[in-house]
Amino acid sequence: MKIPYSWLKEFIDTRLSPSQAQEALTMAGVEVSSCSFLGEGLDSVVTARILEMRPHPDADRLSLCKVTDGSTTFGIVCGAKNMKAGDAVALAKIGARLPNGVEIKKAKIRGQASEGMLCSEQELKLAEASAGIMILPEDTAPGKPLADALGLSDWLLEVEITPNRGDCLSVLGVAREIASITGEKVVLPDVSFPEEGEPIGDLVRIDVSDPDLCPRYTARAISGVTIAPSPDWMRQRLTLCGIRPINNIVDVTNYLLLEVGQPMHAFDLDRLRGRRIDVRAPKETLTFTTLDGSERKIDPGMLLIRDGEGPVAVAGVMGGANSEVVDGTTRVLFESAHFSPPSIRRTAKRLGLSSEASYRFERGVDPAGTVYAADRAVALLSRFAPLSVAKGVIDVGGENVKPRSVPFRPERATRIMGKVYAPEACLEIFARLGFPVADNGTGTWNVTVPTHRFDVEREIDLVEEVARLSGYDSIPATYPESKAPEFSADDRFVDIQERAFDFLRGRGFSQAVNFSFVAGRTWERLGAFLGFDPADAVRLVNPISDDSTLMRPHLLTGLLSNAADNVRRFIDDVRLYEGGKAFGKSYVEGHFEEARLGVILCGKRLPGDWSGADAPADFFDMKGVVEPLLLHLCASPVHVVPTRLRPFFEEGKAADILRDGEVVAWFGAIRKELLASFELTGPVFYGEIRLAKATASPPPPGRYAPLPKFPPVFRDVACVFPAEVPVGDVLAMVREVSPEVEKAGVFDIFTGEKIGDGNKSVGIRVKLQSLDRTLTEAEVHSIHSKIVNLLENRFGGKIRTS
Amino acid sequence: MPGTSEQITRLREEGMAAIAAARSESDLLDAKGRFFGKKGAVSGILKGVAALPVEERKAVGELANRTRAELESAFDARLAGIRDQERHRSEGRERIDVTLPGRGPMPGHRHPVSQTMSEIISVFRRLGFSVQGGPDVEKDYYNFEALNFPPEHPARDMQDTFYVESAAGDLVLRTHTSPVQIRTMERMKPPVRIIAPGTVYRSDSDITHSPMFHQVEGLAVDRDITMADLKGLLTEFCRMTFGPTKPVRFRPSYFPFTEPSAEMDIQCVICGGSGCRVCKESGWLEILGAGMVDPTVFGFVGYDPEEYSGFAFGMGIERIAMLRHGISDIRLLFENDIRFLSQF
Repeated sequence: MKIPYSWLKEFIDTRLSPSQAQEALTMAGVEVSSCSFLGEGLDSVVTARILEMRPHPDADRLSLCKVTDGSTTFGIVCGAKNMKAGDAVALAKIGARLPNGVEIKKAKIRGQASEGMLCSEQELKLAEASAGIMILPEDTAPGKPLADALGLSDWLLEVEITPNRGDCLSVLGVAREIASITGEKVVLPDVSFPEEGEPIGDLVRIDVSDPDLCPRYTARAISGVTIAPSPDWMRQRLTLCGIRPINNIVDVTNYLLLEVGQPMHAFDLDRLRGRRIDVRAPKETLTFTTLDGSERKIDPGMLLIRDGEGPVAVAGVMGGANSEVVDGTTRVLFESAHFSPPSIRRTAKRLGLSSEASYRFERGVDPAGTVYAADRAVALLSRFAPLSVAKGVIDVGGENVKPRSVPFRPERATRIMGKVYAPEACLEIFARLGFPVADNGTGTWNVTVPTHRFDVEREIDLVEEVARLSGYDSIPATYPESKAPEFSADDRFVDIQERAFDFLRGRGFSQAVNFSFVAGRTWERLGAFLGFDPADAVRLVNPISDDSTLMRPHLLTGLLSNAADNVRRFIDDVRLYEGGKAFGKSYVEGHFEEARLGVILCGKRLPGDWSGADAPADFFDMKGVVEPLLLHLCASPVHVVPTRLRPFFEEGKAADILRDGEVVAWFGAIRKELLASFELTGPVFYGEIRLAKATASPPPPGRYAPLPKFPPVFRDVACVFPAEVPVGDVLAMVREVSPEVEKAGVFDIFTGEKIGDGNKSVGIRVKLQSLDRTLTEAEVHSIHSKIVNLLENRFGGKIRTS
Repeated sequence: MPGTSEQITRLREEGMAAIAAARSESDLLDAKGRFFGKKGAVSGILKGVAALPVEERKAVGELANRTRAELESAFDARLAGIRDQERHRSEGRERIDVTLPGRGPMPGHRHPVSQTMSEIISVFRRLGFSVQGGPDVEKDYYNFEALNFPPEHPARDMQDTFYVESAAGDLVLRTHTSPVQIRTMERMKPPVRIIAPGTVYRSDSDITHSPMFHQVEGLAVDRDITMADLKGLLTEFCRMTFGPTKPVRFRPSYFPFTEPSAEMDIQCVICGGSGCRVCKESGWLEILGAGMVDPTVFGFVGYDPEEYSGFAFGMGIERIAMLRHGISDIRLLFENDIRFLSQF
């Protein structure tokens, strides 16, 4: 909310300068985000009068003006045409630096000296655009600073109000806050005026049928008014505060909204059918046209102001077109009411209609202030518009407004804050706040909280008042006594994740962070390739865009589009990983979330290598990351098995990794259709690890086994197999042939005509080792024969002799 | 025999020239043989000294010996030079260019948000806090209600909420990590001392707001926990994160689930407090929100507010990372441009 400093000064004659007020309010919890001088840049701009004006001898479009600031005469060359001799104008003197950044220097324009500039509203940043120079009112005295002449020797404070401090959404509220800080006194303007009209009760009848939703309804009536523009000062203040001036009646209600925070409404009394008001929520749905011209659907429970025949306003939100003040209005009924905050909020939200009024009612408007606001409106209006005020005020529910009593123990403040607050200090703060205190000697005080402080209901709220008004600066900085914390499962997970990130970083992968929501239309279009079941999707009700309609079922699409984006930027070698959650539905808890780690790789196997080994990365480069990463994290064996269950991978180039019989990861080559739809030419390799699952059980500590004391024997076997024989299975079986087989590995693989189509040649190296003896030639031969036997009979291999 | 002295002087010059001209060890040995080896010319003269007249013997003998010594030392120096050259020549053929890049990948880069998050987590773990996680898809009850945001409360407007389709209509994407406070207190009795890092969501997008971002939440509940403890802890955190000399301030604010509430500002890292666009001319940057756990919240989890007190705090990680690294547009953090990531 924007508040002119001069307006504040009308309510509290504070010694705080505007910037001191900014600092003090901010440090008391009412943040003032800016404090700007309205006359910024108008330092050397003064009012002046044009004495004489004639055409420039050498330029048709320029004129030469003689202007005076009352004591000196200046010769000015001017390009505008909208002025004449005798006009009051704004003169920027030599040396002025205008709000738009222009510096005024002595100049010669087409041979004629110009000793300043006549300014336009646009140049002074007083308007977005202007047709010519600014012409000031005729009676403007020359030689005054322009800022004074325009009422701009003022500061505008921008106050950021937290939702609990609805009471500060007004000049009066902020003035009260300053009083709480400084101890100065708030003075309310006098609101006396003669009441010469008929008794208000003869003009209108008011009933409140739903007092729960409308605890208080106050009204005043006036007659004999003429609808006209408000005076300039009022229009200027409204404009500064962001409200468009309309006419004297509407403006005065808006002025009061800003000044005391009481939203008001003005009805044309003669347009209220049956001259009556009933405040009630309808039992049935109906439609109603608000004064912005929109037809609104009103549901049962939304509070309405009705006249004798139907709705005339949505209570506390917006008035109706059928009863608003119009040009011919002469009699006005001012409504100054208090509505229940939740009811207003519900209605405003459901209508999608937030107004200055609803904003304030939602946050709480002082129920004690309705009569003062109505009186102040009438008093203000009567200062500049002839009118007659009806006798009396209608006030339904006024008798129920009572301040709250809240218990308070000074000792409690000390205990919560960790700072000693003496009872006298607390009393002093409550006095500044205007909270009367009754101390009955029990150690618990009864503090009376005025009705404008909606947020102070409990002892803890009073503790906060004491703490903030004595300053958070004065709170000591101690340190909470340490209790040994438990080391949680989540601590362990954070450590595991760090280790995974470090591992990948060491392998040249950089970390990506993508949104957890993805484009539903992409997933639906590519569903068959993404393994996407729409029934499992966790969807947003109100996505921010089409690109973020559902929670990602896995991490692939984010990394895939990252790869595509980078390739498009001429970065061909992409190595990225992302740690994040995948989402889906579950029948047990409604939905599930799982911590995953995605890894993507494309481009060269060894980026930046100069030794000729610049081969493109392949499946085994991805396997060489994912498998060792798992071993690094869980240090227990994992099994890689081919899979057909992952439609995002090329068939035959996809594998699952199992740990303890459970799938903990998958990796492979992304299938061509997906690459194409992400505009990648490929090949791209991807792996995804179920990070929490993979590392769920910490591995037991390693067990020592005695080291061998006898020499090992190595044997190589070259064997031709049908291409589909899985070498991993072969090696696993070879290791089982005899306890002496300590290791079996592949040292060579090739295919080609020589060994026949559909075959592959595999070179296997076996390390034989016994713990208790040197193996004899005969033993080695026997094991070798068993291996050959296995390869030939079990796997259909043929031993190659040379 | 004046002729002999002149002969020696001439041999000396010729010998020196031959040594200097030698390009290899064999050239040099050749010169040695000719001039001062056992069979060399100077040796020959020495052998003939005995035949000279007595009065010449001494002078000629001395001259010849001196000359031979000089030639020998020139020979030694030259030999060392030639051997040195040869060693260099043969080494040059095997020497490698050590400035070429090593084999294998250079390290990748940690995302700046993850880096900042990780550092913040480790600061609080060192200060005795243990990590707790919680779901991103959260119940309205945990995200709002139990944190003292009643259904029709304007405080709900502080956070533009994403709702998740569900049968009961009670699921949201958590708008803050604070629901972990409730989940933790429901599960354990005081003392509680946790941090909850995680992903949060708000329907807001511009150069300083992202619909998804990260937070770290903290909660400590015990007997006699005070606001002074909170201030001390957070001051220490700011010192560890932003440097020991960075001024901080603690000022009142509002959150529904804490009372009293506070915000902590650090002096603007861009302008050093003189006022700039980033700090909106205030000289201060808001870094985190905090406060004493509201008794209403204790009511939801069954803690007695007369027995226990506690504090909570929460901070946005993107904002801190952006300040630390001078990143002006939050959207850069989610584009995953390798040229960007490589800077951290």
